[in-house]
Amino acid sequence: MSIELPETAGVTEQSPEELEALLDELVIGRDDHLNAPGYVIKPDTVVESLRRLRDDAGFDHLSCVTAQEYDDRYESIYHLKKFDDPTQEVSIVVPADKENPVSQSANAVFRTADWHEREAYDLVGIEYDEHPNLKRILLPDTWQGHPLGQSYDQDQPQVVPLREHKNPLLEDQRAASESETMYLNIGPHHPATHGVLHVKAVLDGEQVVDLEPDIGYLHRCEEQMCQNSTYRYQIMPYPDRWDYISAGLLNEWAYARVAEDMADIEVPEYAQVIRTMGAELCRMAAHFLALGTFALDIYGDFTAIFMYSIRDRERVQNILEDLTGQRLMFNYFRLGGVVWDLPEPREEFIENARDYLEELPTALEEYHDMMTANEILQLRTVDTGVLPPEVAKSYGATGPVARGSGIDYDLRRDDPYGYYDKLDWDVVVEDGCDNYSRLLVRMREVEQSAKIVEQCLDLLEDWPEDERTIQANVPRTIKPKDDTEIYRAVEGAKGELGIYIRADGTEKPARFKIRSPCFSNLQTLPEMSNGEYVPDAIASLGSLDIVLGEVDR
Amino acid sequence: MAGLLQGEVLLPEQLADLMGLEGPLGVAVGALLGAFIVGNIMLAMTGVAGPWAKRKITAAFTDRFAVNRIGPFGLFIIVADSVRLLGKELIIPSNADRPSYDLAPIVLPASALLGFAVIPMGDLGPLNIHLADPEAGLALVFAFASIASIALVMGGYASNNKYSLMGGLRAVAQNIAYEIPLIVTAMSVVIFAGSLQMSTIVAEQGATLVSLGGIDIPAWYAFVNPFAFVLFLVANMAEIGRNPFDIPEAPTEIVAGYQTEYSSVYFVLFYLGEFLHIFLGGAIMATIFLGGPAGPVLPGFVWFVIKIWAFFLFTQWARSALPRVRIDQLIEIGWKGMLVLSFANLVLTAIIVGVIA
Repeated sequence: MSIELPETAGVTEQSPEELEALLDELVIGRDDHLNAPGYVIKPDTVVESLRRLRDDAGFDHLSCVTAQEYDDRYESIYHLKKFDDPTQEVSIVVPADKENPVSQSANAVFRTADWHEREAYDLVGIEYDEHPNLKRILLPDTWQGHPLGQSYDQDQPQVVPLREHKNPLLEDQRAASESETMYLNIGPHHPATHGVLHVKAVLDGEQVVDLEPDIGYLHRCEEQMCQNSTYRYQIMPYPDRWDYISAGLLNEWAYARVAEDMADIEVPEYAQVIRTMGAELCRMAAHFLALGTFALDIYGDFTAIFMYSIRDRERVQNILEDLTGQRLMFNYFRLGGVVWDLPEPREEFIENARDYLEELPTALEEYHDMMTANEILQLRTVDTGVLPPEVAKSYGATGPVARGSGIDYDLRRDDPYGYYDKLDWDVVVEDGCDNYSRLLVRMREVEQSAKIVEQCLDLLEDWPEDERTIQANVPRTIKPKDDTEIYRAVEGAKGELGIYIRADGTEKPARFKIRSPCFSNLQTLPEMSNGEYVPDAIASLGSLDIVLGEVDR
Repeated sequence: MAGLLQGEVLLPEQLADLMGLEGPLGVAVGALLGAFIVGNIMLAMTGVAGPWAKRKITAAFTDRFAVNRIGPFGLFIIVADSVRLLGKELIIPSNADRPSYDLAPIVLPASALLGFAVIPMGDLGPLNIHLADPEAGLALVFAFASIASIALVMGGYASNNKYSLMGGLRAVAQNIAYEIPLIVTAMSVVIFAGSLQMSTIVAEQGATLVSLGGIDIPAWYAFVNPFAFVLFLVANMAEIGRNPFDIPEAPTEIVAGYQTEYSSVYFVLFYLGEFLHIFLGGAIMATIFLGGPAGPVLPGFVWFVIKIWAFFLFTQWARSALPRVRIDQLIEIGWKGMLVLSFANLVLTAIIVGVIA
């Protein structure tokens, strides 16, 4: 009945001592996190350490880069994992001087470090040596100071008139006259950027020569807001607003998981089943929207596919509304469980959900008829936006984007949480590496999610009435021990959604870092689009299924 | 039935007769009045098609309701939309190339309206809705229709916007690639009819192809040479820039192509022009492949309108169902596929007509 675990035989697991021996002379101390050994290294040995861990120990996934400022130092943390077995984790802690925070860039080993380090520079203020393009990423270029740094002045006026700054419009932006290329701003107002994304494109005729996504238009200081809220109740509503396209419960789970692991809270099994069901319903809704908008990008008009996908998403949302009372911003999870049980009458709820699942195969058949079987769509998507697995890994791509490139990586199975490991379902992997594969992965994942929901419904129906505990006994205030650090991730709709928390003994986190899957996935866009036509770049962007709310946080 | 329409009195002369005018004055007044009537009929159809029919048809294809609040079946949306569109501010980009920026939205609908001059639209009561019947009618209508691409380039270039420019250039590439197969395919019809004159082409289709159980199937060229019909249909879709060949506009790629910077009245004119070109495309198809205004019971003009609306319906169907091809794929289909097929069709038709028949 339970899901088959991946073969981990080939993945050797190193003990912390072995890793220390591997890093050898580079290690200057230990700073263990709750779920991963942490090694402190010198700021100028980042590349060497990461290269050793990647090449000799198999840590090929730079999941996240966290930066923070202490009273006496700055610190960058590289959270490493293995794509083959994400339960093996290691943290590389790089302290930097308080007066002159300079640290070596990891860009030479992991391409994904590019954006992550830019964000660290932007928000915290650490400078990265050898970084190819160290400039602000979320905030405007004219921003004064680094908002997550300790010495940041909140009262400083930030609206800087152009006359006091270098006016970007004064400079002649035209390419040299003998140049064959054309510079084109795609977005922030463009019908196909799925929100406020700005892509700086250099075109040669209709072909993309270079492409650079410019993000930050939707930056809402989510990390800082979480740092100013208490663990117990105040943080939970925020995750709903990261990936706001129906993936709310998946995001809430990311926070629930990290906080529960940190405070050692045991979640009752019954609540885990409800969580699993709710999360998969959210995944279905999110994937339906991804399907519809991808079709919109390829077809160019609001076609039947878009309407059908919205229709099916609507039905999922109705079920979620019955369950949580909300349609988008659910706020349904609590630390230690969920806020309430299934709605009464239970039979009706279960029947409704089952009715929907019964009709789903017919609906999916429709999508296949209209999309994947359409020859023009195949002409447009097969072998376009190619993302080879090595490149995807280097950029830290996860979720359907990685699985469309043949990377068999799904945290629900590989780093089990909730009730997933006791249910029967499969991880969907396609190895076409192109836009078509990513589309197929999402369509087939909807089937798998339906399968999970179905099993959860069976379980919930038969659950003995007196054992329906929806919440564990959780203290009113949670104060994890000082200097507890943890990084935990769940499989969100778009990929690995991770959260790093450092506690300082109070009831609010001292550092709250969100690892957004869309942020890493969007980084692969230039790799996918360079050399291809503009329409393919648009299709690739659609196939990444980004939500700017999550990219910019 | 052959030769029935030939030598028939055309609309300008009929109007002159009705008013009792004679000589050059009568022809001039009749022609102006006739052109006014035909132009307005077409504009009225466009007015119904743009704000209302297009929405209703697409909605039916995509499982929606569309306009249904104002008036019966939402029909008064036409009025509301006209007021809305004309009432909007006319924004002109600061570095627009003025004369051509202003001319482009006029050239586009005008080119389509000119095309209707030579289309025989059949009888309506005592009137024969047909403005002119020159010997080179078919060549003339193609010439008028292809003025459209000039308008698109003018608009695209003059807007001083990169998206517009790309849209304009795409329009040219597409027009060149599809105009040739379009006209070569039409030539195969000319081989059948033996004339470029529209009335002759229509009259030739009046003959009976085959009699099935007492019902005469007319020799419409769509029945005589369905292959050419399909080729022409595809090339025509590309020529008027409808899905899956709507790449000069391609909203998800280049915003709205050549019309990105146009607003208010200019936008309406562009929109009108596009719809007129769809109807002109339908009119050409109806004339050279579907027997023109021919049809049982109803007056010829009604049949003609039904046929061009059927073509309009077809374009909207394609819009709701087909993904857009990429620009390079479109050009490839045009030059490597359509061109070869259309020449093959022409040669085969010539052999069949010249050697066998």
